[in-house]
This record gives sequence, C-alpha cells and structure tokens, in this order.
Amino acid sequence: MSEQNNGISRRTVLKGAAVGGLGIAAGSTLLTSCGSDAVGPMKWGGRGLEESSVQWHEAVKAAFEEATGNTVTLNMNDSNAFQDNLSQYLQGTPDDGFDWMAGYRMQFYADQGLLEDVSSVWDEIGDQFAESYKIASTGSDGKQYFLPTSWYPWGLHYRKSTMTELGLDPENIATWDDFMKMLEATKKAGLIGYALGDKGGWEAMGTFDILNARINGYQFHVDLLAGKEKWTDAKVAEVFKYFEMMIPYMNTNVLDISWEGMRDLLLQKKCGAMMMGSWFSGDFKTLSQADYDDLWIVPFPEINPEHGRDTIDAPIDGLCVAANGENPEGGKELVKWLASAEGMQARLDSGNTFTSANKNQDTSSYDPFQKQQLAVMAEAKYITQFLDRDTRQDFANPVVAPAIQNFLRAPKDINKILEGVQEQWDALPAL
Amino acid sequence: MTSTATDTLVRRRRSFSRKDRLTLSAFVGIPTAFHILLVWVPAVGTIGLSFTFWTGIRISDIKWAGFQNYNNILTGTPVFWDAIWHNIIWLLWFGLIATPLGILLAYQIDRQIRGHRFYESAFFVPVVLSLAVTGIIWNFMLQPGGFVQGILGRDISNPISIYGNYDINTYVILGIASWRHIGYIMLLYLSGLKSVDPSLKEAAAIDGATEWQTFRKVILPTMRPVNIIIIVITVIDSLRAFDIVYMIYGSSTGWPILGILVFQNISGGGMSMKGAAYAVILFALCIGPMISYLKQSFAEDVK
Repeated sequence: MSEQNNGISRRTVLKGAAVGGLGIAAGSTLLTSCGSDAVGPMKWGGRGLEESSVQWHEAVKAAFEEATGNTVTLNMNDSNAFQDNLSQYLQGTPDDGFDWMAGYRMQFYADQGLLEDVSSVWDEIGDQFAESYKIASTGSDGKQYFLPTSWYPWGLHYRKSTMTELGLDPENIATWDDFMKMLEATKKAGLIGYALGDKGGWEAMGTFDILNARINGYQFHVDLLAGKEKWTDAKVAEVFKYFEMMIPYMNTNVLDISWEGMRDLLLQKKCGAMMMGSWFSGDFKTLSQADYDDLWIVPFPEINPEHGRDTIDAPIDGLCVAANGENPEGGKELVKWLASAEGMQARLDSGNTFTSANKNQDTSSYDPFQKQQLAVMAEAKYITQFLDRDTRQDFANPVVAPAIQNFLRAPKDINKILEGVQEQWDALPAL
Repeated sequence: MTSTATDTLVRRRRSFSRKDRLTLSAFVGIPTAFHILLVWVPAVGTIGLSFTFWTGIRISDIKWAGFQNYNNILTGTPVFWDAIWHNIIWLLWFGLIATPLGILLAYQIDRQIRGHRFYESAFFVPVVLSLAVTGIIWNFMLQPGGFVQGILGRDISNPISIYGNYDINTYVILGIASWRHIGYIMLLYLSGLKSVDPSLKEAAAIDGATEWQTFRKVILPTMRPVNIIIIVITVIDSLRAFDIVYMIYGSSTGWPILGILVFQNISGGGMSMKGAAYAVILFALCIGPMISYLKQSFAEDVK
C-alpha cells in the first residue's frame, strides 16, 4: 500500500516537474498569475476519494508547487460527506481553497459570509472565462466568490462496443420512439436498458431534469425550481408519465444502488445506456484505456419538437476560498493558479477526463471523449446546473429526493407525491 | 432501625472537615459544571432553535418562528410519518422479539446448557462492534456484488433487491440491529442472573415450581432493577437508532428514521431549525423512559 503511494507521488512529482517546465516555457501567464514571492503554506480541500480524483489532485498540487514555489497541503475528502458537512467545515478551520460548485450552492455560503470575496482574482484572470461563467460565479451581492475550473455534461452514456454488438446506433436516436425502441432492443438482448440507481437520492434527479426540459422546456424547468410554477401542474405529472415508461427497462434494484452501482453496470457491460454526468469517466480510464475509449455520450433524445434538444444539465465545478481559512491570501493564489489555463493544463496532462471551463484552454490535447463532451454541451442553447444546484438546498435533498424515490417505489402514487412536494415548497420559510 | 440510620447520617455529615467539603464540592462541582455546559446548554439551545428560522450560521439572521417548524413537520412532511412508523416498528421488534430473545439466551446460558460457553462468546462478539461497523459489515454482505449475493450466484446485473426492496428491507435492517442487540441484552441479563441467590431457585424447585414458574415468579421479580434498565435501553436504542441506517443509506431518506431526519436537516441543508425540531420530538419521545431509568438508578443509590 505504502509502496503504491510512493509510486504515485514519485510519478506525479516527475509529471509536475515536466508541467512546471512547460509553464516556464509558456512564460507570460506564469508571471502574471503568480507573484515572485511565495505567500506561505496553504491548504487545499479536495473532493473525491476515487483513485482518478486523488491522482489528478496530487498531480496538480505538485505542478502548482513546482510553478510557484508554494507549499500546499492537500486534504482529500469523501465527496458526499464533504457536501453534507460544508457548513460546519467552513465555520471551523477550513482549508484555504476548496473544491466546490457554482450556482445556488455557492451563493448560499457566500451570503452567510463564509466565502472569501475573490473579485480581485477575477480582475486578474477574468478574461479567461466566458461571461456566463462570471454570472455563475457571482454571489447575490454582485461580487465573485468562485472560480470555475471544469464543467461536464449530463447525457446518455453507453459503451460503443455494446451498442455495436446490439446493432444499435445511439448517435442517430432522435426521438422518444427511437429511444424506446433502443431500450426494447437492449432488454431483448438480456441487458438492462436504462441503468438507474437512486439510493443516494440525487442520481435520478438527472433523469427528471432532462425529461422536464425536453417535455416542458427550459423556462418551465427553471421556473418550477424557483417556485414560480407549481409541482401540481399537469405538466409535471406528464414528466413522470414518461419517467414511468422507462421503468420496465431499468434494473429492478434502482433503490439498492447509488451512482457507483450504475457505473459498475456500465463498466461490466450489463446495461445499454445510463443518464449520468461525464465526471465518472475518470473511473473508466483508471480501469483501462480500452474501457475509456469505449465510452461515449450523446444528448438525451428530443420529446417535444417545440423544445428539441435545447437544454442540458452541465454543472460547473471549481474552487472557493474559505473566509475562515488560515491563509485566505494564499487560498486566492491557489485558486487563481488552479483555474488558470496553465493550472487546468496541468490537470488535463495528469489524465483528468473533465473539460476545462477556461476559454483560453488549448483543446488540441483533448481526447475524442472530451471533444464529444464539448460537442454535447455546445449543442444546447440553455445550460442548467443540476436540480440540487438550481434550487434551494432545503428543498432539493430533503423534499425532491425522497419524492423521486417514492415515485420509483410506487409510480401510481405520483399525484399524491407531487401534492406533497408542492405543500412542502409552500411551507418553506422565506429566504 | 431507621432512627439509627438517620443518626449515623447526621453524625457523618457533621464530621466533614472544611477540607473535605472543599474536596467534595470540587468533585461534585466540576463535573456538574461540565455537564451543564456540554449537555444542558446545547439541549436548551436546541429547543430554542426549534422555534426559529435560522440557517445555522450567522446569529443575527435568527428569526422567531413559533410553532411553524413543528407545524411544517407534522402537516407538511410526509417523510416524518414514515420515519415515526419505522421507529415504532423498531421499538416493537426490539421489545417483543429481540429483547425477549436476549433474555431467553441469558437464562439458558446461565443454566449452563451444553455448549453455553460457545453461545455466550458467539452472541457476545457483535456487541464489541460499534453500530457503525455493524452497518458497514452488513452492507458489504448484502449489497449488489456483495458476499451473500455472490454466494447465491447473483452478479450485479441480477441481484436480489434487499435494501431497496420495501417489502423486506425493514426486517433486514431490524435483523441486523438485533444481531447486536440480542447479545447486548444477553450480556446485561447474564450479569444480573449471576447475582441471583441460587438458594432461591433451589427453594422454588423444592416447592415443586416448574421452570417457567420459577422464572416468572422468582427470577423475574428479583431481577427488577435489571429489567427496568433493559426496558429503558430497548426503548432508547429503538428511538435514537441512526448508525446502521446511516451506514447503509447515507444521509438520503432511503429508509427514513428520526435520527436520520435530524442529521439530514442539520447538516448540509441549511435547515438546522427543522433538524432541531426533529431532535426535540425525539427528545420528547425518549424522556419518559429516561426519567424512569434515572428514578431507578437513584432508588438503587439510596438503598
């Protein structure tokens, strides 16, 4: 075990050295993005204990240390536990910079004064990001509290080899009928048509989001999550009617498995397609390059021609600086470098399969899967973050998650379930 | 008899020196201060919090809410009733099945049936494990791709649905909880049984009492203090159940129970006041058994 760790760190240090060398060669950005003086030791709170995640964090940390001469302590955390405990984490002794998400989930903590204003960093490297990213990084007071690093699409993931064996071509699935035919054919071949897990309560939100956007359109989806539309609207019931049509093609243990279970079904070629964010693709790459090369993503098919395929959940991940950290200035240096094109290049060079949020990123090194992710996102006119990032935190997980789980248990109770959701929304205290 | 006892007591009290008094007040005072600071202040704070709207971060944002959180829970949160129902089933299961089984086991082991040492250690082992570890072990055993599924020849594409199958998952979880609880009760009862004077049993046997009669009329009444402790432990353990469920389902409401609702609302969701209200409800349900427990232990001290 320790031998393996040593192996990794030695490799990553070497890689880091190489990247650092590149950075110096690149020259100008390096000079602007880091002062000549080191700003003291800093801490970085990372999310994700999967091998692929730990690996890129360590590689990027090494590259940062090499490029700037700073010392960083990297603390990796379990992703879900980190999310659950963020409030306590930020009020205690947080790391200076930490991995987080854009949108509601950032704004809430910014409003509470737990995040450091990083407008100064935006002044320096803001021109490396599209305007929409700046909006997603801005708190309700108009200041920036977040730096985007990567984004990824939610779409239908499948293995090219499985689909070829079945004689299916998911890239040419345009409509709901085509989609149902595909599920039927996969099921006939003895596979799970549509793998779904919802033990964590959030996984099936991806399916709800896309069905709602496809059937009722972007505006209705956004308004529903903002409380301007009602969950008791017949339009929402319609979404679940489509959802219910997919249930016969799902694995029979949806509530037994979480996203890891879904990933494993696809990894072991037990299913046709699954709706998931592309972030899990790193696990395929960790397993083998062949598995990764076999992975593909397409947008969810059109249902209502009025809306086509104009919307996609493409959450932005990035970094925040904790207001209570020991070294907020150091934290700003850290996130500035990590979000800059060269920081993201170090991350991409480490084999990370995300796509960069940085507009100056050189995408020539992208592999076909990364290019496909970009294509899928580029096709959509409207970008949403994800249900649990697009609505109030005290609503998404405590209310919507159990509602969808209850629906998956007993689809016929949907009207009663939706009435309950609306009642619970109405009962929420005003923000 | 009573007057002599009082005399001794009075005399003893008088004989406390100043130094004794200082020592005693330090020994009583310091733990009491800690107790008030670490138990009562947070408890009262939680009760107060449950009557407010508060995100749990800035104290200046706190707003009075009256009974609105409770109203919301009781009328607007269906998952609360699912959770209460699970807690009730848990209580009934422990009270009617797991605890009596533990007592039966203790009684049989105390009678030194054949292989009693083996049974004793076999049932004792799970007690050593924390509930969280118990949850992890059984999750590995039963989840898709887990040990049991493997033995049954089920791979991840056709596993038997267990934790996500709402016809059976309640009983599976209660089974796991009992795996530990039975051993715990056995241990408590066994230590009680050891202190029962064997001559009582002999006397009952000479008088021609059957085994059942001896147990009901002789052993059970002599064991009254232990019985009450066991009842209290059973009730409190059923109501505060959390660890096993959290290890299996995480903070989602896959199998709602009050402890999980407290946790889910306080952590992450920015709904600490609703979590506090759940905690107060849980506290109200626990307080009855706790009071009787305290009364019992005080009564023993006085004896």
